[in-house]
Amino acid sequence: MARSTKYFAKNLAHPDTPASELDVETLGDGRYAVTVDGRTFELESLVLPHGAVSMIVEGQSFSVEFDEKGDEVKVLLRGQLTRFDVADERKLRLRAATAGFTVEGKQTLTAPMPGKIVKVFVKVGDVVTEGQGLVVVEAMKMENELKSPKAGTVTQIITKEGATVENGAPLLVVE
Amino acid sequence: MARIKKVLVANRGEIAIRVMRTCKELGLATVAVYSEADRSALHTRFADEAYCVGPAASRESYLVIDNILEAARKSGADAIHPGYGFLSENAKFVRACEKAGITFIGPAASSMDAMGEKTQARTNMIKAGVPVVPGNAAPFVNVEEAKAFAQKIGFPVMLKAAGGGGGKGMRRVDKADELDAAWRTARSEAMSAFGNDSVYMEKFLDQPHHVEIQVFGDMHGNVIHLNERECSAQRRNQKVVEETPSPILTPEMRAAMGEVAVKAAKAVNYVGAGTVEFLVDAKRNFYFLEMNTRLQVEHPVTEWVTGIDLVAWQIHVAQGGVLPLLEPIAARGHAIEVRIYAEDPATNFMPSPGTINTLRVPSGPGVRDDSAAYAGYRVPNFYDPMISKLSVWAPTRMQAILKMRRALDEYVLTGLTTNLRYLKQIVLHPEFVKGDYDTGFLGREHQRLLGEEQPALTRISMIAAALRAHQRTEKAQATLAAAQKPGALAGSAWRSSGRRQGSWKRGA
Repeated sequence: MARSTKYFAKNLAHPDTPASELDVETLGDGRYAVTVDGRTFELESLVLPHGAVSMIVEGQSFSVEFDEKGDEVKVLLRGQLTRFDVADERKLRLRAATAGFTVEGKQTLTAPMPGKIVKVFVKVGDVVTEGQGLVVVEAMKMENELKSPKAGTVTQIITKEGATVENGAPLLVVE
Repeated sequence: MARIKKVLVANRGEIAIRVMRTCKELGLATVAVYSEADRSALHTRFADEAYCVGPAASRESYLVIDNILEAARKSGADAIHPGYGFLSENAKFVRACEKAGITFIGPAASSMDAMGEKTQARTNMIKAGVPVVPGNAAPFVNVEEAKAFAQKIGFPVMLKAAGGGGGKGMRRVDKADELDAAWRTARSEAMSAFGNDSVYMEKFLDQPHHVEIQVFGDMHGNVIHLNERECSAQRRNQKVVEETPSPILTPEMRAAMGEVAVKAAKAVNYVGAGTVEFLVDAKRNFYFLEMNTRLQVEHPVTEWVTGIDLVAWQIHVAQGGVLPLLEPIAARGHAIEVRIYAEDPATNFMPSPGTINTLRVPSGPGVRDDSAAYAGYRVPNFYDPMISKLSVWAPTRMQAILKMRRALDEYVLTGLTTNLRYLKQIVLHPEFVKGDYDTGFLGREHQRLLGEEQPALTRISMIAAALRAHQRTEKAQATLAAAQKPGALAGSAWRSSGRRQGSWKRGA
């Protein structure tokens, strides 16, 4: 019997639902058997030069495109975009060992997109309320006011007005 | 009047390409201007000539009149098409073109003065007997004045940029304590979009329809209208879907609004393509909102149902031609346009600039895609996040809706987040299908428009994702196995040594 490999796929739209388990078995000639939720699908998969995949599952033809960013893979298929985090058993163990801690009470405000900081409304030591506007980021001609994730005190300002920031850049800290 | 031979397009993106397409059809030479961030943009490569007009920020490039005119002088262009946005409604620019002896493809500076500054326009329209939305007559001096006025007319109100439209510098304010934040962002946005931070206020009409009339004038005093566009599908005051004919207009309303629009255009001696925007309330009363003294983003739907190339008409009247049509014409069939943005509807429409990996654009009968995108293109974060305008035509509205659904399914764009799925949900929504949707529609139905997963597709997607991981592992294992075979090391060492030699030779 051919050897099968286990994968765990988490649908990122439902973070509270546990990951699904998938058994993948290689049958040769681009054919695979995938078992999920107790059902086995026999399919044929053709990887195209630009990374897209043509998949024929029980006679149904699916044109699949992927977008990958770190552990997240976006799958575009028949007009539906679904985001997954896929791991095999080894990766899962590795992650469990290196899982970090989140510090309760301390929140770092990060840039949700690349852009320019046009305004910083607060300074270190300011007491802020939840939802209070802290920073304005301009991207693509739209200004977006970033609000405080919690009530607290501004303990650190990392950015400054006029600065160009990348996606995810830390801007300031509220404790 | 001398015939135009070479047109400089003072714009970027899809509209620059749109204008150049007509120029090419008319046998006119084309000149692009580009910022340093747009060296690789399609419009830069599409034109016969291209000139850099400054750094990425539009305030230092596309909005600098001297730099644009310098490019016109260098290229010998005899006309400038401004597109929409940027300098398209800037009377100073029109005067500068005139002074430089270059034809501006658009209305006279005096018409822009009369319509461009929104508070002035309101005053002019009241004088011409055109109904307007209640509001104040002059921009506010400070936020206190705005607060006092809001108390007087009652919340909710709209803060609006006096210097321009297009949803920039516009904020709805529901209560007094929201006014400070709205004042700040509206003014700052107005400054960066129009170079003018004055704002004024209008009473917020509760969930009106937004219907606009396309008008066209020539230098001989003729003005006609080319029917309406329904633009009520808006989010954050940005139009998202436009269609024509409007499903809520009766022939009598169309005639009445058309007549008022022509009156408004005639009152300011309008020449060229312009749009008179109206708000229509629940009782089907209509009020003048503003006049856009330029070609609109959504002009393709009008082109679909009238068969007119509006850019060709703009060029024709700019060189003194008489309007090819002097009577209103009936629309043929139905057209719908959607705006595809690089933004994520699920995170409050946060812009998502990035690089386009794959792009496959829908086609087939009755489908048009106006875009400046290509696979490998990096959408810069300095400009509007619109990637494309997808429009369709069909004999009836329902057929046009079905065609739009088909076209949206066909659209493949990967590498960055877009609103494609959201657009599909709009054209699937029963309220949209029914046709009686107001400007509150997208906001009200937001959650539903984010779309629901189809479990069957989710499962196949999950299989595809797992299979991708599996195929990678297999490939890695195969490579490893090959490397561990006896003699494999020597072989690979020989190959890598060969590569080293090769590169050394090339480098020498």
